[in-house]
Amino acid sequence: MNLTKNNKISGDIIDAHELTMMFGEQTSVNALTMKVPRGTIFGFIGPSGCGKTTTVRLLTGIHKPTSGEVTVLGKEPIHFSKSDREKIGYLIQSFVLYPELTVWENLNFAASFYGVGLLSRHGRLNKLLEFVELQEDKNKLAGALSGGMKRRLSLAATLVHNPELLFLDEPTAGIDPLLRRKFWDFFKELQEQGHTLFVTTQYVGEAAYCDLVGVMYEGKLLMVESPDALRRKAYGGDIIGIKTAEWIRYENRKKLESLPFVRGKVKVINDQEIELIVDDASTAIPALMEATKAERINIETIEPVSPPFDDVFVKVIEKENTKETPNV
Amino acid sequence: MFRFLIRISSFMSKEWTEILRQPKLILTLVFGPFLIMFLFGLGYPDQNRSLRTTFVAEDPGSLQGEMKVFTESLSPSIVSQDTENNKDLALAKLALNQTDLVILIPKDPFGTVQKNQQAKFVIYHNEVDPFQIAYINSVARIYTYEVNRRILQTITEQGQQGAGTVQDNLESAIKKTQTLKQAIPPGDSNAATQVNDLEKDLTTVHDQLATFRSMGSSVLVNPFTVDTTPISSIQFTPTEFFAPAVIVLLLQHLSITFASLSIVREQRSGIMELFRVAPLTALETLIGKFLSYLLFEILLAGVITALAVWLLKIPMLGLWTNYAIAVVVLLFTSLGVGFLISLISETDTQAVQYSMLLLLASIFFSGFFLDLRLMWQPIKVLAWSLPATYGIRMLQDIMLRGASVPLLLVEGLALIGIGLFILDWILLRRRMESQYS
Repeated sequence: MNLTKNNKISGDIIDAHELTMMFGEQTSVNALTMKVPRGTIFGFIGPSGCGKTTTVRLLTGIHKPTSGEVTVLGKEPIHFSKSDREKIGYLIQSFVLYPELTVWENLNFAASFYGVGLLSRHGRLNKLLEFVELQEDKNKLAGALSGGMKRRLSLAATLVHNPELLFLDEPTAGIDPLLRRKFWDFFKELQEQGHTLFVTTQYVGEAAYCDLVGVMYEGKLLMVESPDALRRKAYGGDIIGIKTAEWIRYENRKKLESLPFVRGKVKVINDQEIELIVDDASTAIPALMEATKAERINIETIEPVSPPFDDVFVKVIEKENTKETPNV
Repeated sequence: MFRFLIRISSFMSKEWTEILRQPKLILTLVFGPFLIMFLFGLGYPDQNRSLRTTFVAEDPGSLQGEMKVFTESLSPSIVSQDTENNKDLALAKLALNQTDLVILIPKDPFGTVQKNQQAKFVIYHNEVDPFQIAYINSVARIYTYEVNRRILQTITEQGQQGAGTVQDNLESAIKKTQTLKQAIPPGDSNAATQVNDLEKDLTTVHDQLATFRSMGSSVLVNPFTVDTTPISSIQFTPTEFFAPAVIVLLLQHLSITFASLSIVREQRSGIMELFRVAPLTALETLIGKFLSYLLFEILLAGVITALAVWLLKIPMLGLWTNYAIAVVVLLFTSLGVGFLISLISETDTQAVQYSMLLLLASIFFSGFFLDLRLMWQPIKVLAWSLPATYGIRMLQDIMLRGASVPLLLVEGLALIGIGLFILDWILLRRRMESQYS
């Protein structure tokens, strides 16, 4: 299962430039440019219908792009050879395996059409079943599995041929938060084994588990950043939360706002709690401590705040909408 | 090459497992056709339909007491039910299906014939089925023939009796001629010659009458008979005759149904998208699916045939190898049709509808119960585009005539099968390998 030994080639496993896909007059993917470094978990986040699945289809060679260029594993997807395809695993959004077959038979079928040899197959399937925790259920009909178990079976089927690059299209959609967490644990483990994962999701909070996050909205890739950088970009800097022992007066807030490293206005959470955006939290915290001391503000805590990614995402979209409609 | 075989095998094990997981389906597939043939045999025993007949003699007095000539044991197909003298009453019974035929005996038939006119029977029926009407027409002809034969035979017998008296008179005349010959004075050669000629003529007529009287009346009335004999020494029952065609129709329909649902279901479930990304070609998919269904159906055909031959005693006059070749080619081509349906259908329902339409077309145009030779020439093109048409001919020839594989038929069917395979491959390639634009 471990790819690390064989995966010595570094660089970008996916490289897209101005990739566009149109269906008739409708633009589904609009001039998408991005690079996915090998060995990372790349989260592709956006609301339903924003073009995530179309992008995956472009990257897997199902769709031929209307314009633009893309290479995956160093090749144009529409010209993938069989050996290129053997390096790719694709988890489709919905459950597409056969409900009349057992868990084992479905995995065996997937292993066969990926050309996995008979000698190594038995051991590999057992390992995968252990990995996705379906060992006890291998003789159950797939149709009788719960939604979460079906997802795990699909994931195992995606991994039967030990692919280098995994495209996981909304693997956590419609499953409970505990299982979603477990899936991300699986993904982390796969990353440690050397796989590169391209994961689409509409759960914005899952961005935190990724190395890089691409934010997609209405066919456009708004940004590709690390989760922290994404927050910073969304809010225009780092957020610092300050809690005081007594009431923070208006004049104090104005003083803090006037500091050169503070961006925008102070956000009042309550009488004793404020949040402010700074250029860099690491340099801003000592400076803020000095400033509050000078103002005789009795601070209880001062620390960086990580807003939920849902808020980050909303902020990014708001910014995008403001850019699009400057006169409004 | 090894991976190619592994990929092909993936579909074989998948399709087989899916089918074997449904024991009810297997039982239906094996015993369904067998049961159909068995019930067909029970339902259609080897005998003609007997027609309950009401005879109507509106003027019984004119029949001179010869009613039985018209009503008794005229044909096994005509069973005398009763005799009426009211036509309307008889027709009312016919309308109520209380009788099958009403035969109206002509008024004064013997008098009519003696007046040098034909006496006409009128036969009424209440059928709408063209085949039954044809059967009744045939029965009517046999009835008229039989009545004519009986009357002629009676007249002939009467003539033979009358000829006896004439013969006695002739013998007396010959004797008198001989006496006359002795009374002619010697030297009157002219008179002697004339009496000799007269004696000769009388003797000839006497001998001819003797021949006429010595012949059986049935031979005189019916000098020629006919006997139709098939080359094969076996006479087939309707079940035996239809069994090869039933086997062909069932195998074709099963192949088409299995194959037609196969790809369309995968297209609908979404797994085709996975195949597109996987290192799996359209050719590997198609070969895998063809082989899995072909092997399963060969097994199924074997069981159905074994049950038909050993339990229902359907004759198998030809070689098993010839039978096997014909069945394999039939299944291969039928699968080609099924996959074509699957590739042009958008939904399961569409695929099932197309399969049913094809079954109907096969029943009507394959020669299953209507002889292809009766078909209008342009429609024969449609008939010969159906695998069942070839299959029925081949299996009837092999099973019922003991013929070898009809090469033209098997080659023609195989050619269609190969053509369909290539077409299926092209269509599946489009679905699996081409991109949406």
